[in-house]
Amino acid sequence: MEIKAKLKDGIVSVKAMAKHPMLTYDVAKKQGVEANFITHINASVNNKVVLDMSTSQFLSKNPIFKFSFKGAAVGDTITMTWVDLSGATETTDSVIK
Amino acid sequence: MERRKFLGFGIFAAAAAFIPANLSAEDYRKTKPDAWTAHTVEDAIAKLYGTNKTIEQGVTLTAPDVAANGGAVPVDFSSEIAAKSVAVFQNANPESAVCVFTLNENSVIDYSIKMKMKQSGTITIVVEGRDGKLYSAKKAINVALGGCEG
Repeated sequence: MEIKAKLKDGIVSVKAMAKHPMLTYDVAKKQGVEANFITHINASVNNKVVLDMSTSQFLSKNPIFKFSFKGAAVGDTITMTWVDLSGATETTDSVIK
Repeated sequence: MERRKFLGFGIFAAAAAFIPANLSAEDYRKTKPDAWTAHTVEDAIAKLYGTNKTIEQGVTLTAPDVAANGGAVPVDFSSEIAAKSVAVFQNANPESAVCVFTLNENSVIDYSIKMKMKQSGTITIVVEGRDGKLYSAKKAINVALGGCEG
C-alpha cells in the first residue's frame, strides 16, 4: 500500500493506494475464477483507530482513497491494513509529515 | 458456507492482531451482511440503518457530471455533522452498497474514493448522525464507458 500522510492545521490528510485487482463477482464468473476484493481497510495512529472502512467489489481496481482525522502529530506512525475476501491481508506503515 | 466461516475466523484473527480489543472497529460486512447484497439504494440503506428516511442536507457531495471511465469515478464527500458512520451507495451496479466508514471522535468527514459504475446512475451518501437521524446527498452521474469491465 502506498500512503502519504500530511498534517496541516491540526488535521492529518491521508492519500492511500492499495494494490488489489478488486475482482467483482461478475467479472470473476466470466473469467472462471473466484471473486476477490478488499472487504475492510483500517488505519491507526498511536493505537487509536483513524479509519474504519467496510468495502465492496465496487471500489476501483488498485483503489485510491483519501481520508482525514484529528489527534495526531508530525512524526507519528500511521499503520494501515486491508483484508480481502480470500482472507489475505496487507499492512503498511508510514510516518505523518 | 464453510469458506465464509473460515473467513470469519481469519478476519477476526487479523483484527485481533492489529486492533486492541478496546478500540471500535466495525466490519459492516459481517454485522450487516444483507446491506451488501441489496439491489436498490433504498433497500441497502434500510438494511444498514433500519430506515431509509434521510434528510437531504448537511452533506456535501462532489462528483463529475460525466465520468469518462466508469471503472474509476472520483467521488468526494464531506460533512460537519457529528456522526457515527458514513455510507456510500449507488444504483448503477448489481448491488447498491459501496462502502461504509465507522467514525470516532478523531474522525473528520472528508473522504475521496474512486469507484466503479457499470452505467449512468445516482450516487447517494448517507451520514448517520449521532442524533439518530440520517442525512444524505445525491448526485446523478453520466457514465460514458461502463466500468464493471463487462
